[in-house]
Amino acid sequence: MRQNILHRLWESAVVLIGVALLIFIMLRVVPGNPIETMMGEHANQATIDRMTAELGLDQPVHIQFIRYITGALRGDFGTSYSLGKPVSLLMGAAFVNTLKLAVFASLFAWIVGIICGIISAVRKNGPADHIFMGFSLLGVSMPVFMVAMILQFFFGYYLHWLPISGADSWKNFILPAIALGWNSAAGISRLMRSTLLDVLQEDYIETARAKGLTKNAVIVFHALRNTMLPVITMMAIQFSGMLSGAVITETVFSINGIGRLAVQAISGRDIPLLQGTVLFSTAVVILGNLAADCLYAVLDPRIRKEA
Amino acid sequence: MDKIKRLASENKVAVVSAIIILLFILAALFAPVLTPYSPKEMDMAHRLSPPSPAHLLGTDEGGRDILTRMLYGSRVSLLAGVLPTLMSMVLGTALGLLSGFAGGKTDDLIMRIADIMLAFPSTLLAMLIMYTLGGGLINVFLTLSLVGWAGIARVVRSEAMRLKSSAYVSAARLIGVPGYRIILRHILPNCIPTLIVLFTLGVPSSILTESSLSFLGLGIQPPDTSWGQMINLGRQYLYNAPWLSFAPCAAIMLIVLAFNFLGDGLRDVLDPHLQDKN
Amino acid sequence: MENRTELTLKIDHLNVSIKTENGLIKPVNDISLEIPRGKVVGIVGESGCGKSMTARAVMGLLPPATKIEGGSILLDGNELTGHSEEQLCGVRGSEVSMIFQEPMTSLNPVMKVGRQVDEVIRVHQKVPLAEARKMTIEMFRAVGISEPEERYECYPHQLSGGLRQRVMIAMAMIMKPSLLIADEPTTALDVTVEAQILRLMKELNKSGTSILLISHNLGVIAQVCDYVYVMYAGQFVEEADVFALFDQPLHPYTKGLLGAVTSLRREEAVLETIHGVVPDFSELPDGCGFAARCEKCMERCSALMPRMAETEPGHRVRCHLYSA
Repeated sequence: MRQNILHRLWESAVVLIGVALLIFIMLRVVPGNPIETMMGEHANQATIDRMTAELGLDQPVHIQFIRYITGALRGDFGTSYSLGKPVSLLMGAAFVNTLKLAVFASLFAWIVGIICGIISAVRKNGPADHIFMGFSLLGVSMPVFMVAMILQFFFGYYLHWLPISGADSWKNFILPAIALGWNSAAGISRLMRSTLLDVLQEDYIETARAKGLTKNAVIVFHALRNTMLPVITMMAIQFSGMLSGAVITETVFSINGIGRLAVQAISGRDIPLLQGTVLFSTAVVILGNLAADCLYAVLDPRIRKEA
Repeated sequence: MDKIKRLASENKVAVVSAIIILLFILAALFAPVLTPYSPKEMDMAHRLSPPSPAHLLGTDEGGRDILTRMLYGSRVSLLAGVLPTLMSMVLGTALGLLSGFAGGKTDDLIMRIADIMLAFPSTLLAMLIMYTLGGGLINVFLTLSLVGWAGIARVVRSEAMRLKSSAYVSAARLIGVPGYRIILRHILPNCIPTLIVLFTLGVPSSILTESSLSFLGLGIQPPDTSWGQMINLGRQYLYNAPWLSFAPCAAIMLIVLAFNFLGDGLRDVLDPHLQDKN
Repeated sequence: MENRTELTLKIDHLNVSIKTENGLIKPVNDISLEIPRGKVVGIVGESGCGKSMTARAVMGLLPPATKIEGGSILLDGNELTGHSEEQLCGVRGSEVSMIFQEPMTSLNPVMKVGRQVDEVIRVHQKVPLAEARKMTIEMFRAVGISEPEERYECYPHQLSGGLRQRVMIAMAMIMKPSLLIADEPTTALDVTVEAQILRLMKELNKSGTSILLISHNLGVIAQVCDYVYVMYAGQFVEEADVFALFDQPLHPYTKGLLGAVTSLRREEAVLETIHGVVPDFSELPDGCGFAARCEKCMERCSALMPRMAETEPGHRVRCHLYSA
């Protein structure tokens, strides 16, 4: 078990370095000197050269990469070209909002998804099943921005119930959380339903019934735990996805989160900021998946005991 | 083929979905015939006019007919669904089979690369690739293919590993069937139901990713049109001219739903495991 | 209620039907069976003949779209058909229990095996966990699981097939049920383990539990059963004391089954087979279900269903060859 986790930690570290390298390379192959791009056509060559040297861009690429990595490990992601502040500071402030949004949306998705999935599986082909699966099909079929805009239009603009943008109070997060979480709720309930239906076909379910457990007890004590194994993986993947899907939700609802920062970085051609946000988000995702794996191992003894 | 026939006779929703998809394809092909308007020419006299007999879905901020723009936009959006999915399926299946069957170092290498790709939040990865490649049609397609393959490779790999340890593959190995033949004759055919499910899930998700990129202004650039891009342009007028965004939104939803329904139907008839249950 | 003391199980004219796309089929067709207290009764037949369905009917665990269409099932004199689901839950696991063919998949993979046995106790009795644990470990010892304390903490994947089947048996026996149904309990096990498990079942039987053993394997039947029913296409075609059946099989199908068992004593080991396959339930003929495969088939066989007739006390057969 411990060895297993150590192994996953090592793997995650390798992946993270690979990610950093990939980001670094991709941003270096963009044509044109980023300083020129940033300063516009009117900058004189001397200024550009001075800036280039100051930012270490005249160094060989591998030196730049090592500098970047060692800096990142100390929490120094460089200085944003367009906003003129340390990237780490900008990201710290933004991450608070992104995290809030992801937590709200996940709670929504987990509660709604799991409950609907169970009901659908247990009452397969019943009216509730059809309604839930209809909604979940809508959920997986609608792009996040579409749900977001409909919610904004209806609950914000038409009914004036809830604010349509900003991140000032928890009320601001209700619509974004639904917009972001609906899709995940749909995915969870569909996976929950199909996995539970599969699990209910297993032999050990019949054994449990033969013991004299009621149908509901069999579902709660035997089926759910086996069903949750893949569902938890999906939940973790989605949580990471929310940190990225939040790009769109944050943009539509004007929440200053990591995703919106990345969009700003792209439009400002701000390489340190883009590099920082993408690397940071990806690191969060990797850590999230690692946590999910550990959780999975705790829940599934077959994996726990394997070294 | 018999199974497809059975699908056609039993699952009306899937049939309707197939017809809808077909209609979208026809509309995309015959866009110039179906509409008298041009998707690009401005008509400032009629800007932002609500739906009317002359403009069934209204006009946009440049006075262009929304229906016309949607017809032309469907070409891009549909292609963005199918082409990149096919490309990432081919790549992902090949690498997944190789990885699952070969094991060892090859497996490690391929899976580490896939891990790296999958570690990225997909929208951010797409944004990053788009930033590097620059906007435009071809680059959007390339980006979508590069984003999609890793997930498919991982699924195919685990399927291949599962099948590899199955009794009939062991039997085939025992009697000396060469590896490539086991992959092609025993493992790949058994992956096909999974691949069909992945494809039907891939197309709509690819359409959605394209629309998201274009929605953020990073994907399809004018003068090309896609539904996502139309929604992005229409967003500024959400409250006084909602038809600008909602019509293409509805189109995206409809086509994605149709693919999902068709996929579900196909899975029901093609996947024997699921068949037992019904 | 004189049956109460004599018969653990009495099945009377039981019919089970399944709704399918091709109409209603009857995997269990008008069968009657008796298990005297303390006896081992076997049902033997090819796969798909309806023997598992019979067992499931007794457990009240028929698959969806399947239902009992008449007849009665008396367990210790209590009628089970028409019991509510809740009542059946009280019976299952405590008065009648079942072990299955696949010990590999019949245990919940994410639960310690000890806990899975505890659960049976705690479903049927209010017992503290520690008490249940003690009973489980005791039962483990009784079914021949060595180091029961350690095994209690194991997950199913850590145990061998034989051990898992012992756990299943412990689970089935823990409430000292009056009837144990064993559906192909040794089919998935290798031969030495099979012998151990059968010996264990025989011991348990001696301590008072009646057993209904379902198998396609006549060797297994011969080792443990007192009385045997031969099932074919949803019906019993012959029933007899185990010695009578093996000495003097009457029905051509039974003879065929016995012929298909290789005997080491015989000089020339020619393996006989029964030609053809079990007919599809949806297209059963009007007459005898075995007619198409029977070497002694007569004209009326395919037209008229033979009735069960007693040839000697306790030996009954469904075949026109023996009806007057």
